[in-house]
This record gives sequence, C-alpha cells and structure tokens, in this order.
Amino acid sequence: MRPLLAVTWMSLRTVPSRWGSSLVVVVGMACAVGALVSILSMSAGFLRTMAATGSPSRAIVMSDGALGEWGSTIAHDEATILSDMPGVARDGAHKPVVSADYFAYTAVSKKSDRQDSYVDVRGVSLQDPGLRPEIKLINGRWFHPGHYEIVVGKSAQDQFEGLKVGDHIALPSGDWLVTGTFESNGSANESEMITDVSTLLSAMRTSAYNSMTVRLTSPAAFTTFKNAITTRPGPALEISRESDFYAQQSKSFDDFLKTIAYVVGGIMGLGATFGALNTVYSAIAARAREIATLRAIGFGGATVMVSVMSEALLFCLIGAGLGVLFAWALFNGYQHAMGGLVIRLAVTPALAATGIGFALALGAIGGVFPAARAARMPIVDALRAV
Amino acid sequence: MKYLPLILAGLWRRPARTIFTFLSIVVALILFGILSAIDGGLAHQLDAARVDRLIVDTKFGTQLPLAYLDQIARLDGVTVVAPRQILVGYYQDPKVPFGIIMTDRRFFGVRPELNATKDQIDTLLKTRTGALITVFAAKRFGWKVGDKVPVISNTIRRDGGHTWTFDIVGIIDDVDRPGKARYFISNYDYMDQERVSDKGTIDRILVRIKDPRRATQTGREIDALFANSAAPTRTISEKSDRQAGGISSIGDVGFFTRAVVSAVLFMLLFLTGNTMMQSVRERRGEFAVLKTLGYSDRTVLALVLAEALILCALAAAAGLVIAKAGVPLIGTVSPDLGQLLLMPWSALLTGLGFALAVALAAGLIPALKAQRISIIEALRP
Repeated sequence: MRPLLAVTWMSLRTVPSRWGSSLVVVVGMACAVGALVSILSMSAGFLRTMAATGSPSRAIVMSDGALGEWGSTIAHDEATILSDMPGVARDGAHKPVVSADYFAYTAVSKKSDRQDSYVDVRGVSLQDPGLRPEIKLINGRWFHPGHYEIVVGKSAQDQFEGLKVGDHIALPSGDWLVTGTFESNGSANESEMITDVSTLLSAMRTSAYNSMTVRLTSPAAFTTFKNAITTRPGPALEISRESDFYAQQSKSFDDFLKTIAYVVGGIMGLGATFGALNTVYSAIAARAREIATLRAIGFGGATVMVSVMSEALLFCLIGAGLGVLFAWALFNGYQHAMGGLVIRLAVTPALAATGIGFALALGAIGGVFPAARAARMPIVDALRAV
Repeated sequence: MKYLPLILAGLWRRPARTIFTFLSIVVALILFGILSAIDGGLAHQLDAARVDRLIVDTKFGTQLPLAYLDQIARLDGVTVVAPRQILVGYYQDPKVPFGIIMTDRRFFGVRPELNATKDQIDTLLKTRTGALITVFAAKRFGWKVGDKVPVISNTIRRDGGHTWTFDIVGIIDDVDRPGKARYFISNYDYMDQERVSDKGTIDRILVRIKDPRRATQTGREIDALFANSAAPTRTISEKSDRQAGGISSIGDVGFFTRAVVSAVLFMLLFLTGNTMMQSVRERRGEFAVLKTLGYSDRTVLALVLAEALILCALAAAAGLVIAKAGVPLIGTVSPDLGQLLLMPWSALLTGLGFALAVALAAGLIPALKAQRISIIEALRP
C-alpha cells in the first residue's frame, strides 16, 4: 500500500506541468455532469411534489377506468354511501373525514412569459384539517361556503398573474374573490385553487363530483375500505391508496425526463471521455521516462496502473464536483411551471452522488486503457528513447 | 491547396490524439443535431398551424352543447364549423392512452390538410363504428384496413361496458406533417348514442374563417355569444393551442436546448484547444524548420489554424450527417418520441458554423504561438 501511495502522490505532483490538458478532463466532466444533474433536478423536484401530494393514510376513489381525477365521475348519492364505508376515519363529532371533490379550471397567464396556462380549481366538501392537514392558510382567510370566494395555492400565486388576495378570478357565474393563500408542503395542491364544492357545483350548473378522498382509520385499513366498496352493489369504482395513485401518475412523465437526462448527459459524457483518453495518453507519454524508471527499480505494473488511473479519476471527481455545484447554484429551488403544475427543482444529495458516480464510471473507462498501456510499456525502449 | 498534404501530415502526427478529438467533436455534433430536432419538431408543429382556424374550448371545464355549432356558423366570416369530442382510451397497453376524435363530415372541411378522399369519408359516415387513422397511427399500433380495434375507455357505454370497438375503414395522412401526425377519427353519433352521460355535448369546436386577419375579432364574437351561458367558451388560435400543448408544456424547451448547446461548445473549445496546443508544443522544431525553409510567420499561423478548421469541419460534418440520418431512426425505436423530432436542413449549416467558430477560437492561441516561434531558440539543441 505504501509504495502505491508514494507512486500516486509522485505522479500527482507532476500535474502542474500539464495542467492545461488536465483542465480538459475537468471542464468536460463538469459540463456533462452539470447537464445530467440539471435535467435530473427537474425529475427530482417533480417527484418530490407528487410524493408530497399523496399520503398512504388517504384513499382516493374514482370511476372505473378513469385515467385521472378529471376523467372521473362520482354521483352525488354514491358519495354519501362511500363516506359510510368501513375503514373511513371519523372525527370527534363522529362525522366521516372525507371530501368529495369537483374540478373546474380557469386560464391564467404566467408571470415569466405571459403564456396562458390552465390552473385547476378544486371544490372540496370539507376544509377539516383532519383530511388534508398539510394544507395551511398562510395569508387572509378561508372562503365562506355559499359565496363566490376562493383560496389560492402559494405556488400558483407566485407563478401566475392576478391571483393575489383581493383579486377577482373569472369563473362561471361571475368573478370570484381571492380571500387567502395556502401552503401545502410543496405538494401539487399548491398549484391549485380551492373553494367550496357545493358553491362551485351550482355555479357550474352540474351535480356530480369528480373524485372522493377519504382519510383511513389507519394505512392498513385500505384493504378493508377497498373490499367493502368492491363487494357493494353499484357501479364499479377505482380505489387507490393516494400515495400509490400519485406515484403511478408521475411515473411515465418522470421516465421521460430521466430518459432525456441520460441521453443528453450520456452523449456529453462520451465526448468528455474521449477528451479524458487524450489527456491520459498524453500524460503517460510525457511521463514515459519516469514510469520506465519506476518499473526498472522494481515497482510492479499494477502499481503504475493504479497511479495513472487515480490521476484520471481525481480530475473526473473535481469536474463532477464543479458540475454539481454549478447545477445546484443555478437550479436548486428554482420554481418552474409545467403547464399548470408548479414544481421546485431540487439538486438533492442523491443527485450529487449520481453525478459523481457517473463521472467516475466514465473516468474509469477513459483511464483504464492508457493505464494498461503504461503498465505494459517496455522498459528498455522507454529508457532508450531518452 | 498545395499546403493540404502538409496540414494533413500535421494532423496525423499523433493519430490517437487526432482520432479522440475527432470523435469528441462528432459526438458533440450528434447531440447538437438531436437537440435541434427537438426544437425543429416543435417549430414545425407551430408552422403547420393554420391562421384561418380557431379553436373554441370550454372556459372553465364544462362540456359545450351541440347547439353552439349553429350559432357560431351564423357568425359573419365563419366558413366551416366542426364538432369534436375526444374519447380517451387505450389499446392493449393501459400505459399508452390516446384520444379518438369523434366528429362528422365537417371535420375534414376544417382540416383540409388531411388527405381523406370523398369515398373514404363516405365509408366512414356509413359505417357507424368506422374509423379513419393516419399512417403514423397505423404503424404505431400495427393496424390495417378491415381490422376491428377494441379500445378500453373510461367512458361508460349503455350496456355498462368500457370497450368501444372500431372498424378501420381507411388510412389517411396529414400532408403538412406526413408520417408524423396521429389521428384516429370516428363518428360522433356512434359515441353519443352509446354513452350514458354528457349526451348532446362536445368538448371542442373547430372553426374555419374566411379572413385570417379577422381571427381575433371573430374569437371575441364567439366568446361573447356564450359569455353569460352555463358553458362559457374560450376561443384561441390554433397556434397558441399548439404552443400550450405537447412537449412545450414541460417548460421553455428553447432555453433548455440553448443551455445544453452552450455547454457542449464550451467543452469542445477546451478539448480542441488542448489538442492544438499540445500539437504545436511538440512540433516547435518542425515549425522552426519550416520557417528556415522560407515559410513566413503568417503562413505558419495559417497552417495551424487550417489544421484546427479541417479537423473541426470534418468531424462536425460527420456528426451532423449521422444525426440527420439517425434522427428518423429514433422513430423506429420509439414512435412516440420520433413523432416529435424533425431536424431541419438549416441545422446542418448552423452546426457547421458553430464547429468552425470553435475551431477558430481554439486554434488561435496555438497558432499565434507557432507564429512567434523563434528559429534560433527552437532549433538550439
């Protein structure tokens, strides 16, 4: 081990004489890792938002085959039956902790580029903190049922025009007054507006709900609840644990983001690897005499190989670190609206590890061939060439 | 031209170094090609949007009554009005949902870019469960004329079932975006008779107008008709509709591609610059000999720059050609992705321009160094 460290240290000390070419590895890897991590930060932010939205102790009920809350219909009397199902939690007054929700939307314009986006308006039958305790009012007051009043999620308020407290929003049957702002742990709900469902239904002149969310007595009560619904008479319904529902909803889009990240990062990484190959080959060419001398005085081929590799890996590590830092400085916490959904990009420690692992893997590929060559270099030739 | 062998020999002095640099540039330009295909695909969709077409959507999420069609048709300057109701469902794979356009003959009047013949349209209307699909859809799902296609939808049928069966009666295409447009068109009546809820309503109305200059005005007139009804409308141009949908909904695609392209060019600058720098350092003696033979300082400078330019130009050309040829191949692996990509010919020029700019920037310092080499110092043993 000691000779290995000594040789590695010695080779690193010669770096300053070749810093120009080492910089190529650092810059290449920084660019590749920076691109990879930046795009992945979008995926991480998106997943975080979706994960914050779903809770394992809530279940969401939609009509059979519905691909999301929008495409679902739950009849009025059906909702009443559902709230009496076993497994549904009850509050102090023995009332079921449930909400039947109905959606409308309204077009708003994004502050950044004035593009129109639709923002969801969720009508809820209950603002009992027992169902969605993460939703907290941070400004103004709650809406009064029966009045055309509405509260707006913080992310929606930040990203879109005209959603401040006191503003009026165009919705059916006239303008609705924004009475408050709410926060919700950075969940997807923060991109929505919330109002009373009965008021919204009558304004929209319709009666059926879209979905129904219930608090379960415990996460384990999901099976009881689901079985009770599937065995009851009446139309088939789709029952999901809320956390599973949001995980499943986000999967295909997240896969798409990750594909882009790895295609772009991978191609840039390949380019950077060619650069690294170049650098390492030229490093061993410059050090041919030194390496041959080492071999002649008895250092093994493996020792030389490790010392060359570790030099390549070190520069990849520095490059990756810079890339991650760059992505973090530029994008961590950056608010981004995808259509009506606002997410906060997140450069997480896990992403930093992914970026560094990625660079080290490429560095290993770029370093192993030149290193093997250095180890096999015929000693006599190298010394004679002087 | 007579210097060409000299330039090539210079490049080939260390084949490994030149090849690795070459490959880096190739790879970078392939990435540039793919990114411009994303931009290009988006731009193409927007360009294909017609200015004489308006889209009437619901303002707040309610369905629109069919009766709106006649009211809009009576407006001045409106030539065709078509109903549209999307039936969302999937075929075999629940992870690949798509929309089926339930409409009637008027749809083809609003979308003349669809090359359906009169016979095909007649057959569609005669066959209650008939469907016309585009070449893309036929290829994507492996359907042909005569096939019976069961689609599972969340829209319930009268019999309580979820399966809607369609008979493919013809394959058509969108002449503006051949092979890339995904359409699956069937009869509105079929859906409306079979569904249990929302009968007699549609989710969108397509309008064609005589004078594109009056588009905004007509849009306002349409929205004014229904402003105080139970189902207000929001009329937009086809272009803004396409801008809001598709991959642009992820965010600013242009910003993303520009950022990545800048990073790639920055990386290339260092890579090429380093290669040229190393090469010049190794060949100090050779340049001194050239100068001894009478080559002027300026010629030596030009030689080094030419090396950088030739290396970058060849590599960029290779990368761009691979990208141009390869982008359509993405469609054979993932049709859904391939549908969105289109690499314009102009991207070849832009890419080449970028590569030459990188070559000049990266070659300048080494070239100046070579120009300043003093014969006496370089040749001193």
